[in-house]
Amino acid sequence: MPRLVPGLVPALAASALALTVALPAAAQSLLFLAEDVPAGLNYDGPAAAIPTSQTGMVNLMEPLFGYASAGENEDGIIVPNFDEFEGRLVESWDYDPDTLTWTLNLRQGVMGCNGAELTADDVVYTFARAKSVSGAAPIGWFLSNVASIDGFTPDVFGDEAARELGDEVVALDDYTVQIRQSEPNALFLPVMTIFGLHIFDAEEMNANATDDDPWAHDYTNNVNVPSFGPYCLESWTKNEEIVFTANPDYYLGAPAIDRVVMRRVPQSSNRVVVLQTGQAQLAQGLTPREYDSLRDAAGVAVGGVTGNENLFVHMNFDVPPFDNPLVRQAVAHAMPYDQIIANGYFGQAERWPGVVPSGYPGYHVSDSQYDQDPDRAAELLAEAGYPNGEGLDGYGDAFALTYVAEKESTLGPIVNAIQTALREVGFPVTLNPIPQTQYGDRQLVQRDLPFAVNDQEKPIGVDAGYAIQLFFVSPEAGGLNNMVNYRNENVDATWGQARVEPNTETRNALVAEIQDQLMADVAWLPVVEYRTQWAFADDLNGMRWHPDNSVRFYDLSFE
Amino acid sequence: MLVRYIATRLVIGVAQLVGLVIAVFFLIRLLPADPVSRLVGLNPSAEAYAQAERQLGLDRPILTQLLHYLGLAPEEGPGLLQGSLGISWVTGSPIVEEIGRHLPVTIELITLSFLIAFVLAVPIGMLGALKPGGKADRGVFIYSLFAGSQPEFWWGLLFVYLFFFTLGVAPPPLGSLSPLTSPPPEITGMITVDALLAGRPDTFIEALHHLMLPVATLVFILSGPIIKMVRQNMVRALRSDFVLYAHCAGLPRWQIARYALRAAMAPSITLIGILYGFMLGGAVLVESVFSLSGIGQYSVRAVLSFDYPAIQGVVLIITGISLLIYLALDLIHAVIDPRVAY
Repeated sequence: MPRLVPGLVPALAASALALTVALPAAAQSLLFLAEDVPAGLNYDGPAAAIPTSQTGMVNLMEPLFGYASAGENEDGIIVPNFDEFEGRLVESWDYDPDTLTWTLNLRQGVMGCNGAELTADDVVYTFARAKSVSGAAPIGWFLSNVASIDGFTPDVFGDEAARELGDEVVALDDYTVQIRQSEPNALFLPVMTIFGLHIFDAEEMNANATDDDPWAHDYTNNVNVPSFGPYCLESWTKNEEIVFTANPDYYLGAPAIDRVVMRRVPQSSNRVVVLQTGQAQLAQGLTPREYDSLRDAAGVAVGGVTGNENLFVHMNFDVPPFDNPLVRQAVAHAMPYDQIIANGYFGQAERWPGVVPSGYPGYHVSDSQYDQDPDRAAELLAEAGYPNGEGLDGYGDAFALTYVAEKESTLGPIVNAIQTALREVGFPVTLNPIPQTQYGDRQLVQRDLPFAVNDQEKPIGVDAGYAIQLFFVSPEAGGLNNMVNYRNENVDATWGQARVEPNTETRNALVAEIQDQLMADVAWLPVVEYRTQWAFADDLNGMRWHPDNSVRFYDLSFE
Repeated sequence: MLVRYIATRLVIGVAQLVGLVIAVFFLIRLLPADPVSRLVGLNPSAEAYAQAERQLGLDRPILTQLLHYLGLAPEEGPGLLQGSLGISWVTGSPIVEEIGRHLPVTIELITLSFLIAFVLAVPIGMLGALKPGGKADRGVFIYSLFAGSQPEFWWGLLFVYLFFFTLGVAPPPLGSLSPLTSPPPEITGMITVDALLAGRPDTFIEALHHLMLPVATLVFILSGPIIKMVRQNMVRALRSDFVLYAHCAGLPRWQIARYALRAAMAPSITLIGILYGFMLGGAVLVESVFSLSGIGQYSVRAVLSFDYPAIQGVVLIITGISLLIYLALDLIHAVIDPRVAY
């Protein structure tokens, strides 16, 4: 064995170690192909409802709370544990049920992209801005209202004085905030995880405010959104590209991926081919067929999760003959569930036996279920007074099955399968594709769609009760998006009890009771829960599902 | 006389634009949808709906909205007379800025496509016309019919699959530049021109490379009708009395061909002008396939999201450009055709 100069080995080892320590990790970058890039970064602005805009917001901003991890699913996607909250900008918290007050202790040393440190003033600013309802779509106010934060009532729309933030949200010191509710409400913590109450960097927002725009809506609509998130904005060209760079001071540690380019590629088939060549590492918004075609592609992985995306058939209670429960049940028994799963979603969907997402707290499977059974459907139809569908032609366009025309490539095979199956039983179904905006208008405002397929309702508040209030409670009792004009006094009354019930078990029992009623009434006809999917380079790790279905780049790293 | 003619045409053009603006203003409001419903999205409560309606100004009487749009109610904010096309209801950005960003992309794409299509179409059309009914003519005829009837998006996707995915000779269909390339400082909005102005030949070449497939797609489609028009007019010109006279007078063939081409060009240029105006909005499918954020993509998004100010702005700008093109065509006719005088 050759002799080495004494002391050389330790010196070399020390040098190697020093080199290892001194060298930064190799820079990682990600090219993400999406159907669009953010149209705005203001959650109270006009682009807030657009999913790709939300992707921009959640990567640049930071919430007070988040969900803990429940581990990986069968595709290796990390899923949240909805029963366990973790503090994000909040380090610890306390709730006093007597005064309905939450005390939030903020983390210290949290730095934003502009070098400002998070303080209680940033939280107070965020709620003050929400209460000002000065944006085009007051999402911050809405979520605060859903969480029963005191003073966030509809009065703000009529009374200017009511838009001032009072003592319902106060800073006790630089790192402590108190928020008071007006009534017990279990939705407080779930709502705090939603992008519509992520925290602004008040100092930077004020620096970009003007006399005409004191809450910096123009700035956040068009330039940037200052916050404390894992990424900072490098550049942004609407309709084309947005580039994020890692926030090196992010309080959970600098992101593994230093730079993310999110590029708009309108044609999903182009997203597929570019991903296959390895020039991009992540793609979203593909059709089920395209995801399926990539499953065996070299260098590409497809992962998904049964999260909160689903497809249901909407039958309007105000439009005959759908006001007849026997007709609704007959439609339910005629539905080709298995065919939709196999041909519409290529197996990436499951029967949906309820009316709220199956992973949400409070979800309950009712005894009232409707398997495909054409004979039973025919019997029910005859019982309703329409043997073999005779007499149904008299209802004009009631059986025109409406769907969003822009989703033809995904929904086309599904509506065709439904049309065929229902026609065999005697329903005179025709197809009626209409533009997204027209669909939204008729669903949300006119509420006059008689018969429709809907795959775009994702209750963003992770709670069965939230979904029920959103879709099934009558407008008079606080319902928000009751698109089928369903009205049931028992449901309204039971939700009125459940909404303020502080005991989780009792609340869940009440919410289950409502779900039994909804399924018995076929308030919606739930068809399938389909998987939220992404296609990505097979060396990309850490994909995690969040209820808003937006990818967090902070979760990701390359092997 | 010419100046007077141009001035008259411009005045008529402005009157046409005003009429169109008012018509479009009312027509889009007849569409069976409500832009407010898109805006409220997550929060469709009655209060939020009313708030969004106020924000868009849709709670005011329609005539007040029109006066505001035209700029005749400056106390409500700037309008057309003040040079404002309004604010987008989707992005919150000024429409002038958005159109200013999207329009040059389309102009660059279609100008390059028309130039190449024209350069190719003229000799090919002439070739067919030299011997009507011959093999070359039949080939030209079949090609022009075939190319003119093809869907451009399908050929675009095919070109992507063939030249990018299979052969690897074209860049990915990800827009005007690679995601790793920083664009040149924006001067005209046309990447190739801006790259040259900024003294960045590498970016210029890269931009040309990215334009290769979309331009090839458009050239393939556009050259069909242009070839057909050149061929037909050339055939007609070659059979005309003045060409017969030129032959009898013993003029050389090249000179006769030049006279015939000049006579054949007038209708061909008219067609190109009309097609150019059409393609300002009609290149949308090619823009979509190649991820180019041109004015076609912008206008489709505006229509689908019922972004009224954006729709009005696009219609106004495209119509204005079309009117200018038609004026330019008339002036070119006067240069080409000695019988036309203003």
